[in-house]
Amino acid sequence: MAGATESTLVSEDTTETEAVAAGAVGLAAVLFALSLAAMFELVTITDPIAGVPMVALLGGLLVLLGLAVVGFGVGSRLGYVATDPRPTAGLVASGAFALVWFVVGGLVASQTLGLGTAGWVVASLVTGGAAFAMSALPREDIGSTLPAGALAAFAGIVFLTGVIGPSWVWDLGWEQQASFNAEFTIPVLTGFCSLLVGWAAAKAYGGFGARGRHIGAYVLVYLNALSIIAVLFLLVAFTVLKGLPGLFNGLAFGAGAGPEVTLVGVTFSLPLSWPFVMNGVALLNDVNGVLPAIAGTIWLVIGAVLFAVPLGVGAAVFITEYADRGRFTQVVEVATNGLWSTPSIVFGLFGLAFLVPRLGNQKSLLAGMLTLGFMLLPLVVITSRESMLAVPDEYRDASAALGVTKWQTIRSIVLPAALPGIVTGIILGVGRIAGETAPILLTMSGSVAPPGSQTVDVVGGFQFSLAPPFVTNPELMRATSALPYQLYSLITAGVGQSSNIGAIDEFRWATALILLVVVLGFYAIGIATRYYFRSKLQHE
Amino acid sequence: MNVLPNSDGAGLRAAARRGLRRGRDFVDETPPDALVTVTVAAVSLLAAFAGFLAVSSLTAVPFAVFLVATGYGWLRHQELTARVLTLTTTVSTILVLGLILVFIFAEAWPTVQYATVNVFGIPIPGLRLFIETRWSPVTPPIRYSLVPMIHGTVLVTIIATAVAAPLGVAAALFLSEIAPKTVREVVKPGVEILAGIPSIVYGFIGFTILSPWAADQFDIVGQGTYLFVGIVVGLMALPTVVSVAEDALNSVPESMKSGSLALGTTDWQTMTSITLPAAFSGVSAAVLLGVGRAIGETMAATVMLRGSPGLTKPLYNVFYGNDTLTSLIAANYGDADGLQLSALFVAGVILFVTVLFLSIGSQYIEARMRQKLGGAE
Repeated sequence: MAGATESTLVSEDTTETEAVAAGAVGLAAVLFALSLAAMFELVTITDPIAGVPMVALLGGLLVLLGLAVVGFGVGSRLGYVATDPRPTAGLVASGAFALVWFVVGGLVASQTLGLGTAGWVVASLVTGGAAFAMSALPREDIGSTLPAGALAAFAGIVFLTGVIGPSWVWDLGWEQQASFNAEFTIPVLTGFCSLLVGWAAAKAYGGFGARGRHIGAYVLVYLNALSIIAVLFLLVAFTVLKGLPGLFNGLAFGAGAGPEVTLVGVTFSLPLSWPFVMNGVALLNDVNGVLPAIAGTIWLVIGAVLFAVPLGVGAAVFITEYADRGRFTQVVEVATNGLWSTPSIVFGLFGLAFLVPRLGNQKSLLAGMLTLGFMLLPLVVITSRESMLAVPDEYRDASAALGVTKWQTIRSIVLPAALPGIVTGIILGVGRIAGETAPILLTMSGSVAPPGSQTVDVVGGFQFSLAPPFVTNPELMRATSALPYQLYSLITAGVGQSSNIGAIDEFRWATALILLVVVLGFYAIGIATRYYFRSKLQHE
Repeated sequence: MNVLPNSDGAGLRAAARRGLRRGRDFVDETPPDALVTVTVAAVSLLAAFAGFLAVSSLTAVPFAVFLVATGYGWLRHQELTARVLTLTTTVSTILVLGLILVFIFAEAWPTVQYATVNVFGIPIPGLRLFIETRWSPVTPPIRYSLVPMIHGTVLVTIIATAVAAPLGVAAALFLSEIAPKTVREVVKPGVEILAGIPSIVYGFIGFTILSPWAADQFDIVGQGTYLFVGIVVGLMALPTVVSVAEDALNSVPESMKSGSLALGTTDWQTMTSITLPAAFSGVSAAVLLGVGRAIGETMAATVMLRGSPGLTKPLYNVFYGNDTLTSLIAANYGDADGLQLSALFVAGVILFVTVLFLSIGSQYIEARMRQKLGGAE
């Protein structure tokens, strides 16, 4: 902190220089936004903006931005701007700059100047080495601004002079052809340069040194978090927008609008008609729907939960309460974690090899349930175990001091206290398996577009007999559909198989949306449950 | 690790003796009818399992006996029955992993045997799967080389890791160290929801939007590129990296961070010189788990790739995407039988073993980190 005394003396013009640096950060942000817009083809690079062609505008802004940042660095070095730089920009930054300039030098030498291998290697080494020296040797204010600003200015000049113009194409010349065109390259280069310069400008805004690095890094980390959320939002919003028309096609309210249902012997009409959710696929339907797939998904989830939850909670009880910590619990831990990370398609293969031959030698709902149950099992074990470990030992001791047995302690103390965590874990796990396609693809997949009559009715399907195996349920033993599988088969199906469905694209997007709603619904409930229990714990 | 007995002969013998004594004590102390009930339940469950394995229609009989015995035990000797039941569930959890191993290895064996190559007169099973590049299940010579699919999986995994590792670690830093509480309450569920979007939805968006766009932008013949599959898969592996890395960062003791901050460092300096180095092994475990997720991701790859096994030309040409190990299985299981189906199981074995190793490796790293941070135990 050698410069600490200096910077406290200068207070008036720091605000001005800070304003300049902040302006540079803002300009970089604008450029980044522009490059994104061009990337998503919201604006094309040949469009004029305020009379200036987009390419020229981007080039000009890049040059301006580069010069501003370099100017700031030089001004700081010459003492016009009060900053607090370190002696060097650091090895990480120097290495990154060297790498970037190595690539730039190589590309210019080999592609623009047309030098051979020896030529571009030499040119790359020269530019990379120069960039490394420029950033590692001088003080930090020069070292972190000059290579970044120079790159932006260079890119700007390349755009302005038309070396990379709107009709520029770089054919890679590979055996399987691929090429970069200007519509892709210009936005990407602009985005990259604006990120780099934005970082340098943010550093300058903090006056370099520890504070400058802090601000520079925070800008990038915040941008990263923001873009993750933006991607999530875009994905969901896009699916919703595309799926809504198909989802609510033919929706009608009013008495007697819906299909007839028989419940406890009474037949009545639902006051709601929602064809996409209440119909199957048939030639004569006005609006086709995915009822069989929805029913399949619901039964899959019920079956998997019935199978995995008792097993998983039981195993968690044993390893946390009964077993001594030792090799056995370690093996169980490794096994559950191994199961948790096993790829879903491997579970599918296992179901195909183990379950299908033993359950009537055909794909069936039951095989799908059990396969998903195997997938759910490790998640239940892990989360139940965590929440049981979180129950304080005082509870157990107090209960044991009353003279009750271990199992009574577990049943009336440990399990109730751990219940919120277990329930949350199960709900989140269910969300995961409800969207899985790969395992059920191999174990229970049915027809591409099942008609409404193929909706599974597990409860009504039980049959009892006196001969082994005594209880049978043909509904469990036949292939059926589920939402993720339905979407997959709609994507890959040929024209003939899905010819019953008129607007196939609308139907697909609506299926994707309803799958997303089901799965994210489980997640929302799970997350909300967690917050509810947590706030309850905090208030008590 | 220190609590374990030495694994030399004497230790083992002592452990066996202890176990035997405990067993004898248990038999002495337990009332005889409880013992009988538990034994009947255990034997009948084993019989039911054996019957299921042997595809017997009589499987239901021993299972019914098990249910009756357990029900009786639950009413009369709940303590013991509960203990035995939970032990059974634990054993069956391990059993599932064992069954997966046995069954996919058994199904994979015929193709491994078919691909035997003699090296200096010594037959090495399965070698031809890895030294040739021809996948041709129909036209002779029939060959099931997995090299093209391994190449695809490697390319996709590298790209996905390049996306998920830096972004994921940065997001974990943000969540555990930087974000104010209100922002964290928004971003954290957001990342979880990102993990919740079904892979087939990612694949569908990739198939309808990204693939045509990429084909147009890069002037590619046909659709399907490893590059964009890698990016999508990286996005899907991101939440795994974020949540595990965040746990690791949170496990760094607060006293270490405050100690650094008290010396007058900025938050960022504390992060780069204290928090990240201390949590380094946990963060690398997170990246390993993310790699595991990327390797095993199936549906997005299946939908977005071309499904015609072969190497890209040149090998680093990521603008063309043929098949990965996972998409090979998902796309071909339907019309495969015999050796080809068995070849799909070989692909499954490779996936399973690779990911299992990654999982065990990351657990080992995490355990070491916990030991280091918790002080010598």
